[in-house]
Parts: sequence; C-alpha cells; structure tokens
Amino acid sequence: MSGQSLPRDAGRLLSPEAESRIFLRLRATIAWETLRSMLSSARLRLTLVILLSMMFWGSLYGLFVESLTFLDSLYTEVISFLFNAFFSSLMVMLVFSTGILVYSGMYSSPESRLLLTLPARSEAIFSHKFQEAIWFSSWGFVLLGSPMLVAYGVVREAPWTYFLLLLPFMLSFVVIPATLGSICCMAMVAWLPKLRLHALSIAVTVACIAALWLGWSAMAPGRTAQPSSAWLEETFSRLSVTEQKLFPSWWLSSGLIESARKGTPAESFASLLDALKFLALLIANGMLLQLLAAWLAGNSYRLGYSQLLGEVPRRRRRPISWFDRTLTHAGSAAGRPLRLLLVKDLRLFRRDVAQWSQFVIFFGLLGLYFLNLQSFYYNNIYASLIGFLNLAVVGLILSTFTTRFVFPMISLEGRRFWILGLLPVHRDQIVWSKFLFSFLGSLLPCCSLVLLSDLMLGIPLAVMLIHELCCVMLCLGLSGIAVGLGARMPDLRESSPSKLSSGFGGTLSLVLSATYIMVVVSVAAIPTHLFLAMHVLGSGTAGQGFLAWASGWQGTVASLVLVVTVGALATALPLRLGIKAFRKLEP
Amino acid sequence: MIEFDHMTRTYGPKLAVADLTLAIPRGELFALLGPNGAGKTTTIKILVGLLQPSRGAVRVCGFDLVRDPRNAHLHIGYVPDEPCLYDKLTGREFLWFIADMFGMPKHPAEQHIAKEIEHFELGEFVDDLAESYSLGMKQRLVFAAALLHNPDVLVLDEPMVGLDPRSVRIVKDLLKARTQDGMTVFMSTHTLAMAEEMADRVGIMVRGQLRFLGTIAELREQMALETMSLEQLYLQLTSSQSSPPPRDRPDGVS
Repeated sequence: MSGQSLPRDAGRLLSPEAESRIFLRLRATIAWETLRSMLSSARLRLTLVILLSMMFWGSLYGLFVESLTFLDSLYTEVISFLFNAFFSSLMVMLVFSTGILVYSGMYSSPESRLLLTLPARSEAIFSHKFQEAIWFSSWGFVLLGSPMLVAYGVVREAPWTYFLLLLPFMLSFVVIPATLGSICCMAMVAWLPKLRLHALSIAVTVACIAALWLGWSAMAPGRTAQPSSAWLEETFSRLSVTEQKLFPSWWLSSGLIESARKGTPAESFASLLDALKFLALLIANGMLLQLLAAWLAGNSYRLGYSQLLGEVPRRRRRPISWFDRTLTHAGSAAGRPLRLLLVKDLRLFRRDVAQWSQFVIFFGLLGLYFLNLQSFYYNNIYASLIGFLNLAVVGLILSTFTTRFVFPMISLEGRRFWILGLLPVHRDQIVWSKFLFSFLGSLLPCCSLVLLSDLMLGIPLAVMLIHELCCVMLCLGLSGIAVGLGARMPDLRESSPSKLSSGFGGTLSLVLSATYIMVVVSVAAIPTHLFLAMHVLGSGTAGQGFLAWASGWQGTVASLVLVVTVGALATALPLRLGIKAFRKLEP
Repeated sequence: MIEFDHMTRTYGPKLAVADLTLAIPRGELFALLGPNGAGKTTTIKILVGLLQPSRGAVRVCGFDLVRDPRNAHLHIGYVPDEPCLYDKLTGREFLWFIADMFGMPKHPAEQHIAKEIEHFELGEFVDDLAESYSLGMKQRLVFAAALLHNPDVLVLDEPMVGLDPRSVRIVKDLLKARTQDGMTVFMSTHTLAMAEEMADRVGIMVRGQLRFLGTIAELREQMALETMSLEQLYLQLTSSQSSPPPRDRPDGVS
C-alpha cells in the first residue's frame, strides 16, 4: 500500500445549481436502490401495499362520486364549503407534520451531521431535507384528496383542463403549509431552543382544541335534527370560518371550482383564466415562502444545530413507579421473573415516546370519532352493523400496533440476548411475558373504545356483550399471532423495529391479523344481524333451513362458540410454534 | 493550519472547553488526549463546524468556522467516531457523492477514488450497498471519503475504533505519509500507545482545560518522572487531585 497522496487539484465551492443537481442525483439513486431491494426482498409487502392503496383509492372514489352527486343535486354551493373545510384542515395538519419531519431530518438525523461537515450551503441542505419532509407529509393528501377531486370533476363533467390542472394545484398548495411549518421549526430551534417543546405543545393543543370545536360545532345537534338541506345549510354556516379569503385553502378550492365550471366557450375560457390566476397566486406565495425559508436556513441552520447539540439534557430522577413495584411483588415467587420481564417492557414502552404517542393519537382519534357517532340517528340494524364495523376498525388499528411494535420485540432482544441468557429465566417465560404485555396492554383501551362506540350507538346490552367478547378474542389472537410469529421468525441482528415489521415475518403477521379480524367479525356479525332483523325489528321472513337456524338464538350461540374457538386457535397455534422455535434458538 | 483563539464552549452552566488557545502548524500530527468528559469531542465538533464556540474563534487555513464555514470545510476531512453512510448507496456511489460535494472535476475525482479504494483495500466490497458493511468496512470507507479531496487538515475522532490490526497499520502508514506531504492531522484518542507512536505533539485535556501541550519527551521531562511509564504519567496528570504541571506551559498554550 502506498501512502502517497495525489496532487491537490480538487476542491472548489459549488454553485447552488450544481449542489441541487448532486442532491437530486443522491435522492434518485437512493430511491432506485430502495425500490430495487423492495422488489427483490419485500415483493409481497409491496404488492399488498399497492393493491390495498388501489382498493382504498377506488373505494374513496366511489364514495365521493355518490356523495358529491347527492350534494350537487341538493345544493351546489355545498361543494365550496366542503372543499374549504377539507383543505383548511389539511393545511393545519401539513404545517405540523412537515414542521416535525423537518425537525427530525435537519436536526436529529445522522445524515445532517455528515452534510454539515461538507462544504454545502445550509440552504441546499434545507432544500434536500424539505423535499424529503414534504414527500412524507403530503402523500396522504394525494391519496385522500385525489379521489375526491377526480370524483368532483367527473360529477361536474368538468373540461379536460380541470384534470390537467389538478396536480399543479395540489402540489402548489402543499408547498405553502409545508414551508410555513419548516419556517416555524427553524425559527424555534434557532431562537427559542429551550422553549421549542413548550411552543410545540401549545401549538398542538390550540390546533386540537380548534379542530374539536369545529368538529363539535359542525356535528352537534341543532334545530334541525335529521340530515336535510336545511341541516346541511346550518352545518356549513358554522364552518364559514374556513372560508377566509386569505387562506391558501380558499385559493385552492376557488381555483378548482373555477376550472371545473362549464358553460359557453367564452365562459369556460373566463373560468379557466380565473383558475389560472388562483394557481398563480398559490405558486407565487409558495415561492415567496420558499425564498424566506431558504434565507432563514442560510442564517440560522448552523446556529440552531449547534444550539441543539449543545443542549444539556435535564437529569431527572426516575423513582420506581408504584405500579411497577406492585406488579413486581404481587403473586408467587415462581412467577416473579415473568413479572420482572413485564415491568421491564412496560418501562421501555413508557419511555419510548414514538410508541405511546402513536398509540394515544390513533386510539384518541378513534375515540373522537366514536364520540361523534351520537350526532347521527340509526335504527337498531344499522347501529349493530356500524358497531361491528367499529369493532373491526379497532381490531385493524390494534393489528398495526401489534405488527409494528409487538412483532419485533423478540428480535429486538437480540443484542441484549446475553443478558436474558444469563438470567435464571426459562426461555418460555420470555415469550409469555411479551404475550401478556401485548394482551393486557391492549385489552383496556380496545374494550373501552368498543364500549364507547356501543354506548354512542345505543346498542342493546346483549349485542354489547357480544362485541366485548369479540374484542377480548381479538386482543388475545392478535397478540398471539404477533408474539408467536416474532418468536418463530426472529432476526436478532436487526436493530430497527421498522425494518423488522416491514420484512416477510412482519407482513405475514399483518396479513394473518387482518384475516383473523375479518373472520371473527364476520362470524359474529352475520347471525347477530339476522337475529336482530328477525326478533327485534320483526322484519323480513323467518326463512327456511340454515337461514332460519342462523337467525335464531342457536345461530348466535354457535357463532360465539366459533369465535372463541377461532380465537383460541389463533392465540395458541402461533404461540406454540413460537415457543418451540425460541427454545432452540441460538443467538 | 488550525488556530483555536481563546475558544470557550459552555453547555448551560457547565464549562466544556475553557479559553483554549492553540496553533497547529502545517504537517503536524496532533493528538488530543484526556479522560471521558474532558472536552475532546466538543473541541473536535467545533473544529468541524458542528458546534459553535460560545466565545473566541476557530480558524482552519485562515477561514473562520462560524463566519465562513464552507471555505473552511473545503480544507477539512473528517472521520467521526461513528461512521455515517447512506445504507442504500454503494461504497463507490458514496465516494462519488463526496467528490461531487467537494466540487472535484470528473477526471481527477475518478483518479482519487481509484487510489483511495486501493489504499484502503475497499475493492472487494466497494460496489455492495453500505447496509451490508461491518463497522470496520464502514470506517475504512469513511477514511477514504475524508481523504478523497486531499484536505489540508484531517480531523479524526477516535479513528481506530472498529478497525482490525491490518487496517490500523494501513491508517498509521497513511497518516505518516500524508503528514510528510504537509497535511495537518488533529486526532482525539484514548490509545496512549498510538499517541506515543504517531503524534508530533500531544495535548492533554482535563475538565475542559489543556493541562499539557508538547511532545511525549517534553511530558516526561516536565513531570520530572522519567522512570514512569506513559500510562502512569497520563493517569497522574488526569487524576482529579493532580495540580497543573509545575513548569511554565510551552508555547502555544494560554
């Protein structure tokens, strides 16, 4: 090996354009490699994601076509209210989500540590991280917004220019709240570094209260109880706050409505010109904000990064919580190792903000939705049906958590396996502790949510009990599948939970969980639905043979026995497989 | 090449580096030693522009790290204690990214990349994705990237962590050759033997203050304890009860 260096003929500062090209090339290479590795190692997951997204898009499109046709025939101006409410809510969400993503990308990622030691302009690093953040924060908007806007164009029989302008309108709109979020984030880190968490908490709280107030005032029962044109008029008049002409959401909805307008060629041309003016307004404001953000990044990024890096973490004594202490000492001495493992996982969960915050956000949103169910009026059949659908939604959300957080738990012990291996603990107890942690942890929130949904829907007590039984079986089965497969297919070398959950084992766990939920909910729902139809409402005919049997009490009992049997199998089989494999595992 | 001018850095009320004034000339290999929490990493982070000093200034090749960070970075190569790579880039793609960021023209860049791949024996895995690399492979690639633009100043934070003995030898030989060519090396290390073998001068930092600056021979002489091993000298100097060296400090230390 020679240590001789080459002549110093290299090294010069790059122009902004050259820097942009390099970052673009970097992004393209990484995207291509990611796609290639997904195609080779996670084909099942990719196919599932694409299929489910297409199904989701198609369902939303169908729903919007129906809804918009109904609304359009009822009261054409309703569309403007709808668009304004939708886009202004999205605008607020995009401000927060992009701000948070820019924070983690610019200030706490290892990549930013590398880029800051290169001769790159701060503006270029910001632009690179902003593109990443806007991609992650706005794909949901495209997925949710595009079926609605395409449906609107189809319902209004909009000219082709409407469909052509759709994407430019959406893109130019998302840049504005995303840039605003980035500006707030950079300014807070540079000039209010110690207050950033308080400022964020206050902003999130204000936004949540505003959203709750808007939602409540829109959905609260008014003088007109039944959904009608008068009810809609009253509801949308409450939402007029979203129609501020200074909001980019108003520019977007006005531009879209103008571009979809039909008429004589002259009228259509005038509408198109108006739409283009709104588009220009969005683009101009987006560009102005981008300039401001670039200036801010140039002047504050390195300062802000240094402030954060130099922050002294507050030392807090963490006394052992009374709950941990009680759990550790409760019960027999033989069960103590199992309880200690449970306490350890509980502590890790409590101290991992990413885990419990997602849990709280998703179940909190679901709770809000359930609370609003009371605003509508149902007969028993629909209430029962919606109750079962809500049960399925609770199960599906729980399955995403068990796949994302519970499935990787055994693999994540990989690097600490030697600690567990040296403890006087039987390996089975490790698997059981994960199962109990998942089951007991999910039981209370899930059953409470299902109870809330049933109470809001005014469901009879007997059906409530059926729902609760199904919910318990879902918690048992989903925990069994996630823990069992996690122990059966561990990857002790991988330290990233997201990579573990997105691998083959994680995808299989998700697919099995979804199938299990569908089976449990369908088996319980159909006889209950038939029973209610026959006995409570007295509607329909008793029918003959199997239908008559299924709609009787025998059918309900049989369905419950089947639910319990399927649940027991879904819990026991994966756990048995997992425990057997885990006993033989060599770290 | 490197100038610390009354540089102080605080973390809240805690003083991490106190009034450091130090000049390291061209072609010198300087090793910064000290126990955990002495202020070595803070000094290095300030030198590479990740942290800004609370007071004072740091210059590399005359460029102030706060006022003109881009020009300063053009002259710095940095090997951090934890290598950071893009998982979805191959080693060669990463080297090209670094060469591009330093504005290297295509032909010289090609030459430099080929040379560094050869120097650090990266050929076997340089076209694999970085996600499959071991810690040692990553560290060798980061070394190659840091030296790609033939910097005037090379900053190394615990450079030998994760390297096998052969790679350590490669790095040592390379550092010797590069410093002979005029490159300045600023290195923080816990390995006393490495400092003794490689460094032209050493600085010993304790609780943010430079307790000693000079050669190993000067250290032995200054402590007037020639019979002691370097390890014993170091432990004595960095122990909490020890007082500053008895004689006047050598040039370069305030």
